[in-house]
Amino acid sequence: MDIFSNFVTGSVSLFSDPLNILIFLGGVVGGMLFGAIPGVSMLTLAAILLPFTAHLTAEQGIMLYSVIYCTGVYGGAITAILFNIPGAPENAATAFDGYPMTQQGKAGKAVGAAVMCSALGGTVSAVIMMIATAPIAEWAISAFGPPEIFALVAFGLAVAASVGAKTLWKGWLSILFGLTLAVVGLDPVGGIARYDFGMPYLLAGVHFIPIILGFFAVSEVLVQCEKKATGAYKAPKLSVDFPTFAELWAHKIAVVRSIVIGFFCGILPGIGATLAAFMGYNEAVRWSKDKMAFGKGKLEGVISAETANNAATGAAMIPLLALGLPGGALTAMMVGVFQMHDMEPGPLVFINSGDLVWVVFAAMFYANVSILLIGFLETKTIINLLKIPFQFLAPLILLLATVGAYAVRGLTIDVIMMFAAGAAGFFLRRTGYSVAGMVLGLILGKIGEQTFAQAMQMVHYDFGTYLMRPISLVLLLAAVGTTATGIYKAVRGPGQAAKKETNPQSSA
Amino acid sequence: MGRLRPSHYVEVGLWLLATAVLYGLTFKFNQDIEIYKFGASAWPRGLIILMVIAAFGQLYWQYRYGDAGAEVGGPDANIETEGASENSGLPWYAHTALLIALPFIYMRIPDLFGLPADAQGPIKLITGAIVVTAFAWLSRTNMVGGMLGLPLLFAAFLEDFGFYAMAPCFMISVMWLMGERRFKPMLAVAALLFSILMVLFVKVLYVGLPTGNIEPFYSFGNWVVKVLQ
Repeated sequence: MDIFSNFVTGSVSLFSDPLNILIFLGGVVGGMLFGAIPGVSMLTLAAILLPFTAHLTAEQGIMLYSVIYCTGVYGGAITAILFNIPGAPENAATAFDGYPMTQQGKAGKAVGAAVMCSALGGTVSAVIMMIATAPIAEWAISAFGPPEIFALVAFGLAVAASVGAKTLWKGWLSILFGLTLAVVGLDPVGGIARYDFGMPYLLAGVHFIPIILGFFAVSEVLVQCEKKATGAYKAPKLSVDFPTFAELWAHKIAVVRSIVIGFFCGILPGIGATLAAFMGYNEAVRWSKDKMAFGKGKLEGVISAETANNAATGAAMIPLLALGLPGGALTAMMVGVFQMHDMEPGPLVFINSGDLVWVVFAAMFYANVSILLIGFLETKTIINLLKIPFQFLAPLILLLATVGAYAVRGLTIDVIMMFAAGAAGFFLRRTGYSVAGMVLGLILGKIGEQTFAQAMQMVHYDFGTYLMRPISLVLLLAAVGTTATGIYKAVRGPGQAAKKETNPQSSA
Repeated sequence: MGRLRPSHYVEVGLWLLATAVLYGLTFKFNQDIEIYKFGASAWPRGLIILMVIAAFGQLYWQYRYGDAGAEVGGPDANIETEGASENSGLPWYAHTALLIALPFIYMRIPDLFGLPADAQGPIKLITGAIVVTAFAWLSRTNMVGGMLGLPLLFAAFLEDFGFYAMAPCFMISVMWLMGERRFKPMLAVAALLFSILMVLFVKVLYVGLPTGNIEPFYSFGNWVVKVLQ
């Protein structure tokens, strides 16, 4: 019962200090609010707070970020459902069915399902994280090298390409566009400047926060503006009827499947909650008998995506704490917090700062539980945001996005980049491209190239040796299978595509 | 020619043009890396080749099925047709391109005139006023184009005129472009939102926003920060 006593010790030190309680509550409410306010995300809050964590202890800083992570991933679902603005890429898959549900007047059901599934997925994940961190970390260290991570990135992108855009080709073009954006800056092996156009600003690469804000928040405002100008704007219908227990129980298999998928995606460095949500959603579509209903307001779509992305939060802490590898933007900021306190995340944290680890674990557990309580209370307030006429909400969203983009590095060029991305996103979405795919490409581009280069060096540029690694082989086959299925459908044309799901391919 | 329309050729043409430019630029950094056989340009070139394949795949799709979607679902798959019909066609795109170009023209002014740093203030004030007038005149008949260009214009002005002076003007312009014509609610909402933002970000979170560098905007920005902090 070592784990249980550690958990109790962590809980006691979390709640015995009034400042800790204050930080915990601030993180819960702040993460949820920033996740939910359209145009800003938990990343905005985390970026704004980063300089201030120097005044906190390392324990408090990491605890704050882990709490923001849990509640922010849920909070982003609210705007994904209500406004079609995912608070973060993690929630992009939630919008697939959540937003159509809002348009049908079923916003309450979607948000209620998101609250329950986020809390459930996150709590289960936190518990597994506590039990399994050590053994899983040990396995991942030995089994997951660069070849496996690259194969996983390839698989993830193949999955993402087949969802979200108007055609498979547009899905791939979206992702490739994002991957190309990620090329800007210094190359990950030799440090050679690429596509920098002589601008020092571009040497550090295209920052993903302005791009995310532009593609999601700004382009959404612009799309709504056009609808408003042409009279096609429909105010979202309000409802606060939460789903019944029976409705959720009917989706128990989807929940369990998404927890498993979410946890395994979250555990792998660089993949995290975004891919977890996409895969949770994709698997739900694949196993469903009623595939055509997805994307048009199916509750199971929201449940699958939201359970999976919160299930990834606990798991994402494992590579961070055990290997020192951040899995995403927020965990990368946690590395910043560690460094500000002269610490390096990695296996030594468990030995040197066992207390810290358990306070963080306990905080994440309670943060997920509190989603259930605060989620229901706060959600009704946020649903009321829909009553505000859009012409009054739009300037607020745009200005919050401006502050968010500027606060990251204090550069006005980030604001210009964001609005340029917003205008580009407007045109690309109009023609059926996927902005979520582009952002995923941008985020995974660097790690994809880096792990590919490392993998090639490891196998001495011999693809045969690469394919001898069983995990890589399975993942690459799954990627090829997903793409081949997509191309097969693309050749057969519309209509055929959705009616006939081809034979299941090997999956991770 | 199947179901291909001119817009499909433009679309694939843009992709091919982009890939050609990107490929050309790879020669600028086509260097060997001692520890990595493929060098710095292999990865971007691989992506470019895949992009060309996908662009032709899309062209083939449009040749066979026109603008039909694959019914894959998702938030971006179902928005493009609503309300898009009024704002399309070459004149609209040209008009909108001009509105989007104006902010960039403003940003290039110092380079175009080769101005020294200390002489830029008055010139920027004058060109700023001209750009705003031109923008307002052009967006009268193209609200959507105006909405696409306005945030960029706001961003282009941030460095020179500051967030504090520009944000209220920006908010009122956005509301106006979105069809709001009642001045009292516009002013009230702008004042309320501005106060909330200022208190939250300047007073509570101490976020340093651009104050601008041209008088009297610079002094105004500093005055706001001083009052709040």
